[in-house]
Amino acid sequence: MMNTRYLGVGLTVAVWAALMAVPLFADEWSVSQLGQYVTYGILAMSLSFIWGQVGILCFGQAIFFGLGGYLMGLTTLERFTWFGGSQTMGLLLATLGPALAAYILGKLLFVGRGLSGAFFAIVTLCAAFIVEISAQHIDFIGGFDGLLGVPPLMASWRAGDDMLSTNETFYVVLASALLIYLAVLFIQRSPLGVVLAAIRNNDERTASFGYRTTDYKVLAFTISGAMAGYAGALFTAQFGFVSPAVIGTALSTEVLIWVAVGGRAVLMAAFLGVVLVRSVESFLSSALGPYWLLTLGGFFVLTVVVMPEGIFGRLLRLPLPKAWRSPGAGRVTEPGQDPLGMRRTPDST
Amino acid sequence: MNFAIGLGLDTLSFSLSLLLVSLGLVIIFGLMNVINMAHGEFFLLGAYSVVAVQQLQLPYWAALIVAPIALALVGLVLEQLIIRHVYHRFIDTILATWGISIVLKQLIIIGFGPTSQSIVNPLPEPVHILGVVYPSFRLFIMGAALAVSIATFWVFYRSNLGLAIRGVIANRAMAASLGLNTRRMDRWTFAFGAALAGFAGAVMAPIMSVDPQMGGGFLIPAFLSIMVGGVSHLFGVVLGVGLIGSTSTVISSLDTQLAAQIAVFLLAIVIIRLWPEGLITRKR
Amino acid sequence: MLKVSEVVAGYQAGSRVLDGFSMHVRPGEIVALLGRNGMGKTTFLKALMGHVAVSGGSLSLDGEEIGGLKPYEVARRGVGYVPQGREIFPDFTVEENLLMGLLGRPELPSEVPDWAFEIFPILHERRKQRGGSMSGGQQQQLAIVRALVGRPKLLLLDEPSEGIQPNIVQEIGQVLSRIARDEGLTVLLVEQNMELVLGMAQRCLFMENGAIAYETDEVQKLRTDPAPIHRYLSV
Repeated sequence: MMNTRYLGVGLTVAVWAALMAVPLFADEWSVSQLGQYVTYGILAMSLSFIWGQVGILCFGQAIFFGLGGYLMGLTTLERFTWFGGSQTMGLLLATLGPALAAYILGKLLFVGRGLSGAFFAIVTLCAAFIVEISAQHIDFIGGFDGLLGVPPLMASWRAGDDMLSTNETFYVVLASALLIYLAVLFIQRSPLGVVLAAIRNNDERTASFGYRTTDYKVLAFTISGAMAGYAGALFTAQFGFVSPAVIGTALSTEVLIWVAVGGRAVLMAAFLGVVLVRSVESFLSSALGPYWLLTLGGFFVLTVVVMPEGIFGRLLRLPLPKAWRSPGAGRVTEPGQDPLGMRRTPDST
Repeated sequence: MNFAIGLGLDTLSFSLSLLLVSLGLVIIFGLMNVINMAHGEFFLLGAYSVVAVQQLQLPYWAALIVAPIALALVGLVLEQLIIRHVYHRFIDTILATWGISIVLKQLIIIGFGPTSQSIVNPLPEPVHILGVVYPSFRLFIMGAALAVSIATFWVFYRSNLGLAIRGVIANRAMAASLGLNTRRMDRWTFAFGAALAGFAGAVMAPIMSVDPQMGGGFLIPAFLSIMVGGVSHLFGVVLGVGLIGSTSTVISSLDTQLAAQIAVFLLAIVIIRLWPEGLITRKR
Repeated sequence: MLKVSEVVAGYQAGSRVLDGFSMHVRPGEIVALLGRNGMGKTTFLKALMGHVAVSGGSLSLDGEEIGGLKPYEVARRGVGYVPQGREIFPDFTVEENLLMGLLGRPELPSEVPDWAFEIFPILHERRKQRGGSMSGGQQQQLAIVRALVGRPKLLLLDEPSEGIQPNIVQEIGQVLSRIARDEGLTVLLVEQNMELVLGMAQRCLFMENGAIAYETDEVQKLRTDPAPIHRYLSV
């Protein structure tokens, strides 16, 4: 029993450790691929937070990702220099801009009762579609082709403006992911997290206790948007481009699949969902061709119906904080007591 | 003046087709509390049944029979295999049906290829109506959509079957205690909703570009119409479709498609903010 | 007709709201099941109708095991159910409500027979009116006739007198007694309130903690010697 409780912790630590060790023995291409996956992992975590924790299904998560990417690109390409053109400013805008967008969208859409969950899902799908098409038509941000030649992450602390190497970039991305992971974990286990989980469980009942659930939902959505936006900035800096495809329905719905398959309620599981689906994807899509998407779709339906926790959800579940466990569990036993009946006397068989 | 009449007719024809698609959606949602994201793909399958019928050298009109029957079967199978396992998890019905939509779309791409197909217009001669020259097939679409919608309303509000369904919607446990087999009703209602969408697809195919992406173009307006109109009475759908349909058609004729989509989007948000349960709700 | 043996049932897996519950009802009998709130009376009726899962014991109707059947299957075997709170369809007319009692019974014609409107005159008067516009007592009468049009052999009533004015309660009692006598209808009545029971029942079962604690068929004696009533029904 002790074993299963800490299995989740053990595995989580193992995964982070393994990721940190990768550049030591993998080639440059693999490291940059993994960097891409980790970036998407941050996006997945942002969705897992809003969906697994608060119970809000968003079909347009890539809007914030793409918005972050565009803001980063526009700033570092010096096309939008109201706030200066530095990389730091780019990252800052990429986090705050989507946060603001999420805030506004949340304020608009989190209406009272009834169909609010379904309404939100459909409207975000619609929004993703509109944003993508609009982005294709705005020349300032590159129209259909988007922004190209976006500068990579710079080591502004070194003498001379030096690009970060692949390994260094990877570690920056990984460190960001780890920090964000710990931050979200912290939120989940705080009183705020409890309220959010209560909202997921039963919005109306939570509201009847006096909590202004709409405000909490807007807050959570804003945080989620900020995370996604930051991930988008990292993405753009790594790959040098951002386009309407990065902001639209395709990526929005893809990240839903990653998170659903990996495990929506457990952060680490959502993170790994990306890695799993993406690594399998490149292999299988060349092997199966058009049947790949069919298989993925079928597998996705299967997961939703049979494994709503996701593939990794069960494995990576972390134990509840001590304060939340029921009183009596984990109580220190006096010598001679055997509350669980586990000790056997010599003459019993 | 002619422009206005032409626009009016276009609005009517789009709205009536949207009504046909939305009716199936609202009946499924009302009875089973299922948000069917695959409804657009049911529409798609209906349109592709016309392609299939054409490839088999059969006349177009055969598709109007084949499509609803084929879609009813698809609906029955999907309900039995997948939908019934996720009823109690509302958000998951959205995901499961959306996953189904991906699968169905891919099946079409695999079966018919990713590019658009052209359908021969079975009524190519235009007709003079209200002083304008108007494509006959569009009039046929309006007539068919109107007829089927009226029939659906009649069954729902005037027949014993409709009463039973409305009873189950109102109080499922009590209806079951009175002897109604609610599972079987769910299954057949889902099949009926699918058949409606399939019929709509078959009816619309000759005037649209039939390609695997066409489902989405009706799904979102249909959902928005339902939410705007309210789900407690079928007339809510009519009102919702009227508002969304006319806004969409009018703005896209004055400006771009994109502008129309944005307008519809904003309209829906505003209305739902003011009337969270839709415009037509149950009298208490 | 109805034989219940050692039934264990509850709303969640493992809960024992009914705990070794046994009783029986003979054809044509009018039996009252009495007990305080929380003793399991409503749970029993729901288990009988198939709304609550039975984890142990057996429920049999005329020799056929009905534990585990779905609600519509139980209804079609001739069980009429009038739940707590009536549960009429408020947006339907009186006539439509009665029709709902027939639509689930494919072996019966889908038309409300005239006699249905004659049992309680108010239903004939308000035939075309919305069910929701009627008073509690009238809704109760509607719910009862809705169950009766299905021609049940066993009628289950859950707290029919709750919240209803005494004269209507009396009317219901008289009508049901008459129907039971004339048609041989078996009635199982769950109640907390003795009014109706004393007027109708031939046998009383008192429930406590999920099982029968006391039984008597000298119902009228309860008027003069109300000790069991105090014991099992007071707080």
